[in-house]
Amino acid sequence: MKPSSRPTIFSITESEIDLNDLLAQITLESTGAAAIFTGMVRGETRRGESHDTAYLEYEAYVPMAEAKMKQVADEIREKWPVIEGIAIVQRIGRLYPKTPTVLIACTAAHRDTGVFEAARYGIDRLKEIVPVWKKEVSPSGEFWVEGDYIPKPGE
Amino acid sequence: MNHIKLLFFATIRDRAGTKSLEMEIPADMTIQGLKDKLSTDYPNLKDSMKSVLITINREYAFDEAVVPSNAEIALFPPVSGG
Repeated sequence: MKPSSRPTIFSITESEIDLNDLLAQITLESTGAAAIFTGMVRGETRRGESHDTAYLEYEAYVPMAEAKMKQVADEIREKWPVIEGIAIVQRIGRLYPKTPTVLIACTAAHRDTGVFEAARYGIDRLKEIVPVWKKEVSPSGEFWVEGDYIPKPGE
Repeated sequence: MNHIKLLFFATIRDRAGTKSLEMEIPADMTIQGLKDKLSTDYPNLKDSMKSVLITINREYAFDEAVVPSNAEIALFPPVSGG
C-alpha cells in the first residue's frame, strides 16, 4: 500500500472526541483490527497519594503540539510499517471526571501485527514530547501537573 | 540585535505573569544566555530556569544553541498531556 493512502489524523481540539468518526476515518478496505487507547479525567485517585479531582484544565502550544503529534505518527510508521491508519487527538480546555481527554488509535489488517504496541507507543510518546499541560483543580486547591521527561536533541 | 518573540506556558506563564513578550537580544546570544537574561530581568522566573524546556521555532533546543533572528521561543515545564 502506498504511504499516501494511509490516513493520519493529528489534532488538538476543544470539542468532544468522536471515537466513531475517527475510527471510520482510519478504517480502510484492508483493515481488520484497530487498537484504541483513550484516557479520561479520573475523579478519584487512589494509587499513590489519594485525592479527588473536580476538573482538569488543559492547555497546549497548539502548532508545536500538532507538529509533534505528526512526529509521533511518523515514528509509529517507522517502527510498525504495517500500520494502516493513525489518529492522535488531544482535547484541551476544562474537562470534568469521566470525560475522554486523549485518543490514540491505530489500525492494521490483523491484530497480531503490532497494532496494540503501536497504540501504546503513541500514548507514551505523546506524554513525553507533545507540549500539552494540565492543571488539576480540587476542592482543596489547584496545581499544575508536571511531567518528568526531558527531550533529547532531535526529538 | 535580533528581534525575538517569547511564549510562556503553564507554570512558567503563571510566574511570568504574561503569555508572551517580544525583545531584542544580541545576535550571538545562546539559549543559556537567554535564560541568564530572563533570570535577571524577571526574578520570578529565576527558579524556573533550572528545569524549563525551551523550543526554537517549535523544535526542542538546548543551552548551547544560538537564538536566530525573528525566532519564536517557547518556555514551558516538562509536558503533562494525555
